[in-house]
Amino acid sequence: MDSARPHERPTAFDRMLTPLHRWIWSDADRRVHKLFRFSETETDGGRDILRAAEVTSDPLLRRLYLEHAIDEFRHGVMFRHRAAALLKVSRCHSGFQGDWLAPGGHGLDDLQVDGESDSDMLAFLHLSEKAAASRFTVYRDVMQHDPPTRAVFEEILHDETFHMNYTLTQLARVEPKRHRRHLWGARLSRLWKAYLRLATGLAGILGSMLLMIQYFVLLPPFAWLAKRAARREHSGWTIVSPGANESLNRQY
Amino acid sequence: MNILGISAHYHDSAAALVIDGVPVCAVQEERLSRHKGDAAFPLLAIESCLQHAGIEPDELDAVVFYERPMLKFDRILTCGLRAFPQSWRAFPKAMKNSLGEKVWMRGIISSHLGMSGRKVLFTEHHQSHAAAAFLTAPTSRAAIMTVDAVGEWTTLSVGDGERVANGPTTIKRFRDIRFPHSLGMLYSTFTAYLGFKVNEDEYKVMGLAAYGQPTQVEHVRKLIRHTPDGAFALDLNYFEFHTTAQRSYSSRFVELFGPPRNPYEPIDLDTADGQRFADCAASVQQVLEDTLVGLAQALHQETGLPDLCLGGGVALNGVANARILAESGFERVFVPPAPGDAGCAIGAALYCDRIWFGNPDHDLPDHPFWGPSVDGSELARVAREDGHLVGECHDGALINQIADDLAADHIVGWMEGALEFGPRALGHRSILAAPHTIEMRDRLNREIKYREPFRPFAPVVPFEVAERYFDIPSGGARLARFMSGVFPVRREWRSRLQAITHVDGTARVQVLEPAMAPRLHALLEAYGQRTGIPVLLNTSFNLAGEPIVNREVEGYSTFLRCGIDVLVAGETRVMKRKAAMTKTPVNTYLNKEAV
Repeated sequence: MDSARPHERPTAFDRMLTPLHRWIWSDADRRVHKLFRFSETETDGGRDILRAAEVTSDPLLRRLYLEHAIDEFRHGVMFRHRAAALLKVSRCHSGFQGDWLAPGGHGLDDLQVDGESDSDMLAFLHLSEKAAASRFTVYRDVMQHDPPTRAVFEEILHDETFHMNYTLTQLARVEPKRHRRHLWGARLSRLWKAYLRLATGLAGILGSMLLMIQYFVLLPPFAWLAKRAARREHSGWTIVSPGANESLNRQY
Repeated sequence: MNILGISAHYHDSAAALVIDGVPVCAVQEERLSRHKGDAAFPLLAIESCLQHAGIEPDELDAVVFYERPMLKFDRILTCGLRAFPQSWRAFPKAMKNSLGEKVWMRGIISSHLGMSGRKVLFTEHHQSHAAAAFLTAPTSRAAIMTVDAVGEWTTLSVGDGERVANGPTTIKRFRDIRFPHSLGMLYSTFTAYLGFKVNEDEYKVMGLAAYGQPTQVEHVRKLIRHTPDGAFALDLNYFEFHTTAQRSYSSRFVELFGPPRNPYEPIDLDTADGQRFADCAASVQQVLEDTLVGLAQALHQETGLPDLCLGGGVALNGVANARILAESGFERVFVPPAPGDAGCAIGAALYCDRIWFGNPDHDLPDHPFWGPSVDGSELARVAREDGHLVGECHDGALINQIADDLAADHIVGWMEGALEFGPRALGHRSILAAPHTIEMRDRLNREIKYREPFRPFAPVVPFEVAERYFDIPSGGARLARFMSGVFPVRREWRSRLQAITHVDGTARVQVLEPAMAPRLHALLEAYGQRTGIPVLLNTSFNLAGEPIVNREVEGYSTFLRCGIDVLVAGETRVMKRKAAMTKTPVNTYLNKEAV
């Protein structure tokens, strides 16, 4: 933590989770999985920021966004290369992945870039970059045992800090009087999205459990029937009778 | 009569609008959302179509979804049951996936468009493919074959179609082959085994095949046997796609072909493993071709018709298409510009118009340009703001200038008119370059496309001189109209067309008639006057992992991020000014250490 510059200090929440992060990153398989995931997130984020560059009418923002997007694409490649290098020495297996601990919102999930104003976009980006910088600082610090991965985080952190700063400066330029209000709006939006992610995740787990129970409790007799029917099925051509499936009102 | 066709939720969703029997707009969602292979409900594409025609949703007479959701659900449920208990992991995922949105299409469409559910209709997946292939082709009677991974249950179907000018249309399906026996799934399984993305990278397998020898054909034939009735069946012991969501091939498959490729390792053809993967690709390619040719021959004998319309994702395999043309007995083979699922949007709408409503047949425009148009003045404005060199001039002068650029080995991003519908860049959203040297190919790979070196680039050539440079058989020019066939580059020209000649001496050539893209045709002629060879390298205008550009701003942002030297949109030509890239205020600002 000594190496952290003032703008790279993790939040109290992230600091609190440091032991958990240390445990997650200690396993090579989990590291590979998370790095691949980060690669996708950075690339997705890059795509959204590129879109922002294409739709903004502000020439300076266009150029900054473009540079930012290029950085994000580069980060995606860096994460992917590091994960691929780790994969050579360790095959990735499933297990506890801690996906929900990934810096949510950094990938601008569900962000409709075309419908966002410049100020909303900048506020959102600023908070996303800030959150990512905080989290990546922790990741870098728990990565003492893996210097190459640590170096990747170090380099990306440097860019994230720049992104965090330029978005704030530009927000103040674009909305000199109301930039704080936009930041609060973005904070609430992030909170709402975090809630949605959590709720969707929980609903997904519950849904899977219910379906799994049904699968083993209700389906065996139907499975037996389906298998019996499959055995009777012939392979090869199936003749389509004239007039079959002609009605376009049917969904089946 | 206004009919909207929709394809969605598997991959590459799209919308198409047919007004009074003629398509007026068709666009893939990915081109608007900018997410490659976007499978989401195509709201943006629908909006674009309606906006283009200037109509509101309540003016639509019908909205046709390209497949029957409940029939598809029936297949997914049945396969889950048949694979019990191995399907325990896949089953909850499949159910959540289907029950969340996919089976409720009538309600979803009517709620999105604010219209009555009674106006929402459904074609079968392979009906849509058949209609897209037959009703857009300039033929009045043809045999039809559709081949893909899977629709509802059908994976391959054969039939015929007949249409009479201003009269009725019929499309008959004789018989089909059903899941899990699927040529598309066989090819996709090898795509996954070779470390590529399923439903996206199948063309890489085709490109890789040219580097290998079909030494594993006998092994591949163990996976697919002919049935006594002339069809085929997969040996399911070698596959897992029908039982799990994790992997499409089984352990027995791996025992037969060896360990799969790590997707994150490049293919090195100088190693034994690299050559093994190329041989696998060559082998499955040969088996696919042999099977398709056999099926097409039988269909030709059965129907006695001279024309074949080919649809479905497998029809994107240009090598197989060329063999079908050469060996099946059909004189002409028609493949639409979007034979895959996106094209089903147009197929479903046309099927509904001609067959369901019984509207009279119309000749359709024979081109792929159904999307939004570019605006050169918007490009000029943006590029000027950024300090790049902008020129705006009339066609003749612009064409000459671009021909000079190309002759000087500049790489040109070329945007004109309406966007192509389908996966190929056919001259409206293309990156053009001189096709003569290996250095140009390598430069494109290195500075622009960032892609595997084994993948070839395609050429475009004027119709009038195509046979001078390429060995195009009778009927081949039609197949090459939408880059749907792979043909040999004539031996004497290979050394002067190195950038577009694949390792096996072939090219996926586009033969361009002047009426289809007059400006590109004029550019080819102007380039020919300068170099003596009116052939250009024509690759899609996008970077790796991104969809083809749509609007001028997307072309512009792509231009700024890669090694394209000149960008053209309409009558605007932009050249990168190095100073603009390095000394503008923004770059001072972008001095990161200073922030």
